[in-house]
Amino acid sequence: MVAANTSNNGQSVLEQVGPNIIHHVSNSSKEHPIIKIPELFGIDFSVTKHVLMLWIVAIIVSFVIIFPLRKYLSSNGKVKSKWVTLIEYIVEFVKDSISRPNVGQNWVMTWTPLFLTFFFFILFANGIGMVPIFDTIGLLDRFIFKTDSHSTINNMLHGGVTATGNFNVTAGLATVTFFSIIIAGVKKYGFIKHWKNLVPHGLAWPVYIILIPIEVMGLFVKPFALTMRLAANMTGGHIAILALLSLMAIIGEMFSSAAIGIGVGFISVPMAAAIYGLEIIVVLVQAYVFTLLTAVFVGMAINVHH
Amino acid sequence: MDATLLVPIGLGITVIGAALGISKFAAAAAEAIARQPEAADKISGVVQLPLFLLEGVAILAEVFIFLMLIL
Repeated sequence: MVAANTSNNGQSVLEQVGPNIIHHVSNSSKEHPIIKIPELFGIDFSVTKHVLMLWIVAIIVSFVIIFPLRKYLSSNGKVKSKWVTLIEYIVEFVKDSISRPNVGQNWVMTWTPLFLTFFFFILFANGIGMVPIFDTIGLLDRFIFKTDSHSTINNMLHGGVTATGNFNVTAGLATVTFFSIIIAGVKKYGFIKHWKNLVPHGLAWPVYIILIPIEVMGLFVKPFALTMRLAANMTGGHIAILALLSLMAIIGEMFSSAAIGIGVGFISVPMAAAIYGLEIIVVLVQAYVFTLLTAVFVGMAINVHH
Repeated sequence: MDATLLVPIGLGITVIGAALGISKFAAAAAEAIARQPEAADKISGVVQLPLFLLEGVAILAEVFIFLMLIL
């Protein structure tokens, strides 16, 4: 995105880097959607960048995970490609070390599909943020196509590509977790008993005055923490990389010498590359963590320990 | 003095707290695995969940600090 935003409007570099970083990690604005759709029922359905990325991730997951598995299943397990073997390894991992220890033997087959969906979707949505697709398009546009600033390509360049770095997306995922916790409890204990399980039985009544509000708060804190963790982790890495790269421009301007800026680049570019490597681990770990915590919360609703 | 100057100091304190917590986890896990190498899988399983919860608290603090800075 740095390449796409070089018109300096008479501002100094220091005033530009902050907005530039925010611009990179945030969604494209409502004024510049990629596909403009008129409002239906007062809701704006325009396709912004993160919506587009969600669709792209959905298509990739379909082609990479769902269709090979469907093909394998429809052949009754006879034709097994290497790719399916790899997927099977991940599925076994999610089933045996995330799902089974948490939700228990009886409910593994009920809840593992949800955890697998979370895992693959978040993994691909995180991972696609590490691929500089639109930055490359922007670079090509700037030096080869040279379209004007209101063309389709330039409209597509607004905002970052990590859909899971958007708090609304992760809030949507956490909402699924929130309802699946309730459904898990209701399925095992029935509607009334599930809500009674929220607090331990047989305590003195003054304890409940404190305990019930805390437990009801905990009901909402769990998905909220999931929302924040995933989105902040995905946003934080991008900010760190861009801040390190911006040091070149900042220090170059501070000493008003391009040579010093290039010299700083010899330090900040390897550091940004190191953080990029760290981000690859974070992408994997955050997909795992979201799945694991969902499994733990669902398991807490099923196996009540009080 | 501008109050927002204090916000990065809060971020630093948050990071110190999280680092202390995570290092305690790592030290305890390493010690336990050294004592009982055959229980390594179980130990890492027990350590992971509170580790991620701790990490979540640190991340939350960082998000709020960031919001304070830009709002």
